[in-house]
Amino acid sequence: MDSKTLQELEAKAKKLMGFETDKKITWCGNCGNYAIHNALARALVLENFERKDFVMCFDVGCSGNGSDKFEAFTIHGLHGRVLSLAAGAALANSKVKVIAEAGDGATFSEGVSHLVHAVRNNYPVMFIHHNNENYGLTTGQASALTRCGVKMLGTPEGVMVEPINSLDFVLGLKPSFVARGFSGDVDHMTELFRAGLKHKGFAFIEVLQACPTYNRLTPDAWYAERVRNVEDLKSYDRTDLWAARKIVQDVDKEIYIGLLYENPEKKDFVSLLKSREGAVTTPVEEVKHYDVRGLI
Amino acid sequence: MNRLCIKITGESGSGLLSTGEILMKAMKSMGFYVVADREYPSLIKGGTACFILNASLKPIRSLAKRVDVMMAIDKQSLVVYFDDLKRGGLLIHGYERPLGVKDIHALAAERGVKILHRMAREIAEENGGNVLMVNVVLAGMFWKALGLDYCFIEAEVTEQFKDKPKLLAIDLKCLKAGYEKADVQMKVEVPKMAAGGVAGAKKTILIDGNHSITLGAIHAGCRVYFAYPMSPSSSILTHFSEYAVKTGALVKQVEDEISVVNMTLGAMYMGTRALCATSGGGFDLMTETVSLAGMIETPLVVVVAQRPGPATGLPTWTAQGDLDLAVHAGHGEFPRVVIAVSDPSDCFELIQHAFNIAEKYQAVVILLTEKVVAETNMNVPEFEMGKIKIERGLVGQAEMKNLENSDRYKVTANGLSKRWLPGTDGAYYFANGDEHWEDGSLLEDSPRTAVMYEKRMKKGELIEKNLPEPVVYGVKKNADISFVGWGSSKNVMMDVIASCAERGHAGRQAGVKVNYLHYSYVFPLKTKVAEKFFAENKNVHLIEGNYNGQLGNMLEAKLGRKMRSRMLKYDGRPFFMEEVEAFVKKNLRK
Ligand SMILES: Cc1ncc(C[n+]2csc(CCOP(=O)(O)OP(=O)(O)O)c2C)c(N)n1
Repeated sequence: MDSKTLQELEAKAKKLMGFETDKKITWCGNCGNYAIHNALARALVLENFERKDFVMCFDVGCSGNGSDKFEAFTIHGLHGRVLSLAAGAALANSKVKVIAEAGDGATFSEGVSHLVHAVRNNYPVMFIHHNNENYGLTTGQASALTRCGVKMLGTPEGVMVEPINSLDFVLGLKPSFVARGFSGDVDHMTELFRAGLKHKGFAFIEVLQACPTYNRLTPDAWYAERVRNVEDLKSYDRTDLWAARKIVQDVDKEIYIGLLYENPEKKDFVSLLKSREGAVTTPVEEVKHYDVRGLI
Repeated sequence: MNRLCIKITGESGSGLLSTGEILMKAMKSMGFYVVADREYPSLIKGGTACFILNASLKPIRSLAKRVDVMMAIDKQSLVVYFDDLKRGGLLIHGYERPLGVKDIHALAAERGVKILHRMAREIAEENGGNVLMVNVVLAGMFWKALGLDYCFIEAEVTEQFKDKPKLLAIDLKCLKAGYEKADVQMKVEVPKMAAGGVAGAKKTILIDGNHSITLGAIHAGCRVYFAYPMSPSSSILTHFSEYAVKTGALVKQVEDEISVVNMTLGAMYMGTRALCATSGGGFDLMTETVSLAGMIETPLVVVVAQRPGPATGLPTWTAQGDLDLAVHAGHGEFPRVVIAVSDPSDCFELIQHAFNIAEKYQAVVILLTEKVVAETNMNVPEFEMGKIKIERGLVGQAEMKNLENSDRYKVTANGLSKRWLPGTDGAYYFANGDEHWEDGSLLEDSPRTAVMYEKRMKKGELIEKNLPEPVVYGVKKNADISFVGWGSSKNVMMDVIASCAERGHAGRQAGVKVNYLHYSYVFPLKTKVAEKFFAENKNVHLIEGNYNGQLGNMLEAKLGRKMRSRMLKYDGRPFFMEEVEAFVKKNLRK
């Protein structure tokens, strides 16, 4: 973090503290979720978000258990369904930024259909994909992103099928914003989240997340050795979908992080709606009687 | 004659629906009260289907099974439906090969059925049309045979094809030719109206249930509609989307019902009025979210348009089989309201009440409709604007700054706590699907879990206390026979109450006194009026469109009384008038 940003954060320290809970936190020591929430709080403060300016939507899982640990308007929905819940919220009130969070179990198994359509429709939601490569809250079963051969609860012989490459999958859906960070670098995540908060459509931000209890294979240190910042790639064009698909293939040796892909041309869902063209109010502000006699 | 019953039969996709609608609208504009529904298989083209139209000088609401006039567009449907034509009725068709209909004609002669047969295809071709205009030729024949004023059907055909001038010219020629070729007096008895039609009927609108739900929702300030198509709910999506540019509503077809209901809940949580509709199978998928809404005490309104199950069942037919589902949907215990509609007026009004109840009590409201309500067109009084106030149950602006986080799920005497919206200056709170304490913070300890559980459940008692009681139609007491029911049963019961009251019905000089206890608010089940109804009427029966008698079971259990018997139906068809009249006759107390 540069010194100017640091100064800004210091000046806004009170605000930052305001998001902090005094409740007992139930995540394991060194869980990546601490860093993620820390980065998110910073990003919100740096982007001058007040409580009334955003709503956080949580899936069910370890990340979801943070739903009452962030002192703001939050909603804690069902397992796998957070993207739909968030999309509905965002469409109802586009003046409020909707942030959704879910694990890889929720995102790539239980609710994978919602991921597909959230990307396709470019709903105005910033989504943080907590990728700890397993089902944490249910105590360590394999997810669709667990690596081949890893022994998990329920797969004692080791996972037999290849994992999904999360970002390749999402890029295949022609998204408008794809970024990746890792839970060992709060400053970098903060920058990604700031960019995500400013993005109008669906921002898919994956965090490679340490799970010290159930994922011994890829702790923060493992990632720290392997991550490469895409900004260091000289001629990288982040509006080039194929370039992005290419660099996300490697999830073992050189793992690229940063804002990997952006399509500024892709309109967010609300902007596409003819019925909402020119609307200055949101559906939340429009609940009143409408005379329907003219419609019949 | 009180009621003229007409059936138009044909292949699905053969112009049956448009012909039916033309006749229906033309008769309505003449000043008739009409009721019209269609029966069709779940496929796009090919199966036999029919359009049933009843017309009367007095308000009517249901359909008779047997008809006075049958107009067959093809031979297959003629054979399938011929038995529904009454003795002495009129058959209109244009089938070309005499041999092919020899048997039917013989049967017709036996039953005194009059036949109006013209070479409809030839007539169509002579007038520049083709086989697709056979239905229009037949419509002309029909109109002539019934002795109706030509200008009404001409106007309706013109309206129907007004966007296709070339086609319209041919259609009008075919219509006229059919009308002129039907140059014989067929002597069909048609309810005789004074010139200018029936004044009451003229002032009504002709509309179906789904259209009315849509309008009611829009009127109530519903700004967001999500759906996944499923018969018989799909036309709500059609209407909502077609009106969207005018209303400014946000309408979206979503990937599946799970997403539909989560998006709806998300939108309601933010504070707009959002709606979704589906049928039983889609609602099955939604039930986990129904439970979530119960837990986070966020209003949710879901329309469930019933068709026969289980599984895919009969997609295009009708049923009242999902009351138990609505009452029990979702894991765990939480209060909810189940409302059932019967007719377009109901649809328009009860959807508005559904929103009010959902918001006032921060609860789930399931609005049950049925295929026969969803798609049946009938005349109803013009919808009244602003009659039902919008009640949101939200904290007022002045109170906003004094709110505490813990007000949101505060444990109160009646279980109701304050609700305000995210994205405002009010205190923040956690809408937590996990068990929680007053500000929404997760909790797992025993005493508070029970306290919060009770708080939620207490709301159920509050709701029950404030819901309207069921309504008695027909004589208030001492009926010769009484019924209890919900949903579309009201329509047939209203017609049966009227027909049985006529002098001489069932051989009784003074007619038969029938009454009917109707539940619009089906759950939580109110019993005060029912108690009285059972006390004052000694021959009470159940009328219900399912096998188990789902309302009957609930009511008997709660009242501790038994009905005399149960009239149940689960063949995909609604109750027809004759069936209920026959039941009345059989079950009259001697
Ligand atoms: C419908 C449903 N199925 C299963 C569960 C149980 N469950 C809770 S969390 C979870 C998986 C968590 O994994 P992930 O989404 O990756 O999140 P993490 O806990 O790793 O952060 C499961 C299966 C549930 N709550 N709801």
